[in-house]
Amino acid sequence: MRKICVFLIILLALSGFAYGKDAINVLTTTEDLKSIAEAIGGDKVKVDSLARGIQDPHFVDAKPSFMMKAKNADFFIRIGLELEIGYEDLIIDGSRNQKIRIGNPGHLDASEGVYLLEVPTTTKVDRSMGDVHPMGNPHYWLDPENVKIVARNITNRLSELSPENAGYFQKNLKAFDKKMDEKMVEWNKKMATFKGKKIAIYHRSWPYFVNRFGLVVACELEPKPGIPPSPAHLKEVIDIMKRDKVGVILMEVFYDEKPAQFVAGQTGAKVIVVPNSVGGTKEAKDYFSLVDMIIDKLVEGLKT
Amino acid sequence: MKKTILFSIIAFLFIPLAVTDARGNEVAQLQQEMSALRSQFSEMKMSYETRITQLETKIEDLQKTYSIRAEKPQIAPPVQPQSTSLGRYFQSFNPDVSVIGDFTYHTTDKKNEEFRNQFQMRQTELAFSASVDPYARGDFFFHVEQEDGAWHIGLCEGYLTLLTLPIEGLQAKAGKFKVEFGKANKYHLHNLPWVDYPNMITNYFGEEGMSEPGVSASYLIPNPWNKYIELTGQVVNNSNGVSFAGSDSKDLVYLGHLKTFFDLNEESTVELGSSLAAGSNNEGHGRFGKNMTTLEGIDLTYKWHPLQKGLYKSLTFQNELLFSQKDRPYFDDGTDIIDGKRLDSWGAYSSLSYQFAKRWTAFGRYDFSEFPDYTKNRENACSLGLTFAQSEYCLWRLQFKRTNRNFDKDENAVWLQCDFGLGPHRKHEY
Repeated sequence: MRKICVFLIILLALSGFAYGKDAINVLTTTEDLKSIAEAIGGDKVKVDSLARGIQDPHFVDAKPSFMMKAKNADFFIRIGLELEIGYEDLIIDGSRNQKIRIGNPGHLDASEGVYLLEVPTTTKVDRSMGDVHPMGNPHYWLDPENVKIVARNITNRLSELSPENAGYFQKNLKAFDKKMDEKMVEWNKKMATFKGKKIAIYHRSWPYFVNRFGLVVACELEPKPGIPPSPAHLKEVIDIMKRDKVGVILMEVFYDEKPAQFVAGQTGAKVIVVPNSVGGTKEAKDYFSLVDMIIDKLVEGLKT
Repeated sequence: MKKTILFSIIAFLFIPLAVTDARGNEVAQLQQEMSALRSQFSEMKMSYETRITQLETKIEDLQKTYSIRAEKPQIAPPVQPQSTSLGRYFQSFNPDVSVIGDFTYHTTDKKNEEFRNQFQMRQTELAFSASVDPYARGDFFFHVEQEDGAWHIGLCEGYLTLLTLPIEGLQAKAGKFKVEFGKANKYHLHNLPWVDYPNMITNYFGEEGMSEPGVSASYLIPNPWNKYIELTGQVVNNSNGVSFAGSDSKDLVYLGHLKTFFDLNEESTVELGSSLAAGSNNEGHGRFGKNMTTLEGIDLTYKWHPLQKGLYKSLTFQNELLFSQKDRPYFDDGTDIIDGKRLDSWGAYSSLSYQFAKRWTAFGRYDFSEFPDYTKNRENACSLGLTFAQSEYCLWRLQFKRTNRNFDKDENAVWLQCDFGLGPHRKHEY
């Protein structure tokens, strides 16, 4: 019995060391949010992400190990708009961490104030429409202007959680915005010649990106969001692409390439596989390199 | 000559008149045109003024919105910030409501089987979930089932979960719930990875496992490795009639469950659990006094779920082992009641399921099970099946099961199952 008591005391003492910290523990649902939080928080934060960039962010397992990450978090940031509906509640409930529950300062919905697309205007939203998000398309981080709003949201909340570092976070935000503005000039310049160009996409991850850089979505390989491509639908896609002379199919890294390659074989289009999140490839190590990569690959595809 | 001069004078006199007439016509025309232009201009002016006013109002509104967004950090953010045009999507204080149907066609070579060669709406689950207040959430699961030709509704689970307790890492539950014993006992019919429960569950806990009213407390044990180690203690009514005392009982069953979870890497996980349940059994209230049943369980689950191709591939290898010690106070040897003894028995299952395409999963399960009251009776069963997930909310499943029994005829059974759900049913645990 004495041995057990000693063991438990050592265990508790060690666990105290394990939780010793001076930085704010931030847990984000995606690596995009992680990248932004790191840019704003600098060395005052320690950031981890639940989903990886190579993973479909709609489908993340609510693993108990994620509950442990959430248990140790001071600040939880989500994309919102029901992107994380399948796992967020289970992870937060399982973490038993009151700080990061909805409504507390340690919980941030990063979509506050962002520009939204595809907010349903029908009087009813149901599953006959596929995996539709009733509050709008949640892939808003692919518009760099929205990311500036997300960065500001994170800055404001970090400043609230750590008022002594508010000036530091504001300084980082300014630097982040400045770099984003510079990159926007560069990205717009690269995309300028392709304004109005039609492309095909696999899933509706891309409307924000397409909208920002003046492209047009001619068709999608999924008949409805989240519904796998069917032969009948792919035939329609092929007809549209031939009619509209669409030369590019833009798709995410985690989908099956076969339907896109089939369509490309029928239409002569080029399949461009790019990550839609930071960490989706080795090169996409932060938000700026993610957009760099998408634009470079897209420009290469659109030129040919 | 005079005539010529006179004509010239008259002509000269008339010319200005003619010119004056022509000019007059022109002026009148010009005046008409001017008037038309004026009215057009005035219309345009009015139209532009209206549009400018409208635009100014819009700009003001946008500026107000922008200044709110840009300058006022929200200290206590709303749950969903997009207030405009989204109000109709808020549920206010209504709980999440879901209905899940479990429909089967069952055929078997066992002739006295109740639902042999029959379609059956095996179960309809009604689920209600919501936060009760800032400290707790509530979950209710009602099951509608057919029994002896009539439809009955029963409470499968209905409990309050206290999410915030003064001790960090502690969570508590009160109400009726599926007890924390292994993995499969906690499944509802619709989220089983097979059509039926493993024999071990039905033989030791009943047709749909053990769900009893009681209280539960679980604690995440702090540890230097920052691993998930959860200890759960439960006290529930002793109303399970298979291993324990049954509905007439007035005492309690005590359960403990220890669960650990490890990430082998980002794509593979191992969960290891051990369970214990103890309470008096159905023989404990007669002339032979209190007799105990003790159950011990071990569960081991390996999961592989690749990150990049996780939509198309996954594997689950799930195993459980259960040991039972049941005091049996007497045997009826046909002529007299003689003193009994403790009956030791056990059961196990091992299941492997492999998702080989976005919508397709193949599975197999091996069952071995004895019975808590008959150590010599045993069942061996092999199941094979295929699941087609039409979507996240609807699946079709075909399962074949061959059961060998040492106390009855062997049985071959086939099920076709369709599970379909409406509403935002809360996801089940990993």
